[in-house]
Amino acid sequence: MDDTTPVARSAISPAPPEIVVACWAVSGRRSTGALTLTDASPLAKVAVRADPDGELAQALGVRFGRTSRRTDALDSVGTDVLVVGSGPGEWLALGAPGRQLALTEQLRGLLERRGRVSGAASAELVTVVDLTHGRALMRLTGPAAAELLGRECAVDLTDAACPDGSALRTAVAGLATDVIRDDWDGTSSYLLHCERSSGQYLFDSLLDAGTELGVDVDGFTTPSARDERRTMYDF
Amino acid sequence: MMLIPCPWCGPRDAAEFAYLGEPAPRPDPTAASPEQWRGYLYLRHNVAGPGTERWYHRMGCRRHLLVERDTTTNEVRPHRSHVGDES
Repeated sequence: MDDTTPVARSAISPAPPEIVVACWAVSGRRSTGALTLTDASPLAKVAVRADPDGELAQALGVRFGRTSRRTDALDSVGTDVLVVGSGPGEWLALGAPGRQLALTEQLRGLLERRGRVSGAASAELVTVVDLTHGRALMRLTGPAAAELLGRECAVDLTDAACPDGSALRTAVAGLATDVIRDDWDGTSSYLLHCERSSGQYLFDSLLDAGTELGVDVDGFTTPSARDERRTMYDF
Repeated sequence: MMLIPCPWCGPRDAAEFAYLGEPAPRPDPTAASPEQWRGYLYLRHNVAGPGTERWYHRMGCRRHLLVERDTTTNEVRPHRSHVGDES
């Protein structure tokens, strides 16, 4: 099967034209607007739960409320992985499309290298779950991103309270949502991660709230294509 | 908007939380009388003034927490067991 055969769909209907990227049916729309909203659901999403003071927490090196972008131990291929401290004892690892199984194995390998092999008497209780097809992920990018997000949630999003590299879980448009500040080239950008069944609602709510700010839908591209375009989509 | 001081996330809108009520010790199920169970399940002090309450941060860190709230003014303070915690 080649990369042009769609085998997966996001919970969010792609704005026309529809194209296939990494086997996902996504929007091929290209926006030049200052404020864009992109369905980034094709990214690999792996949830990790472990003791916040345990071995895996130390290996990940990301505390609750912060993020870390790494290319070393987590991904042997060398693609970017964004590790998010999404809750006390909870992490979310985001990687390139199709990398979810490799990510899961790499996380398991992290434990094994530290001698915490599953089944050992001293083994730490850890769960690693692939959520790629069970969650929706979108990216809001632009100088007015915080203003738009502020219309949907009651959290202080100023640079002092929510700088680049911070993460929090809060209610956005009434939904429990992970809000991850992940700027690109100095432009404010937020990843929003929620249950798959709520994805379309959250996407539409943000478009509705941002109408007067000129928010525009932008299609998803792979990380390599991003560098050519010099605009912000996934990583 | 009422702010609840979450020891993990900091002050957040009360709408993010579920109110779980007055904390009460659970009776021993092997020894408690029906009257004790009834009291545990249904009876609350419902004081007018400061009291301790249990809340659950369902849209945030998903942790249970205690706060002290004055039911006449809605003034909310962190519970003494959480003072000095992270955030």
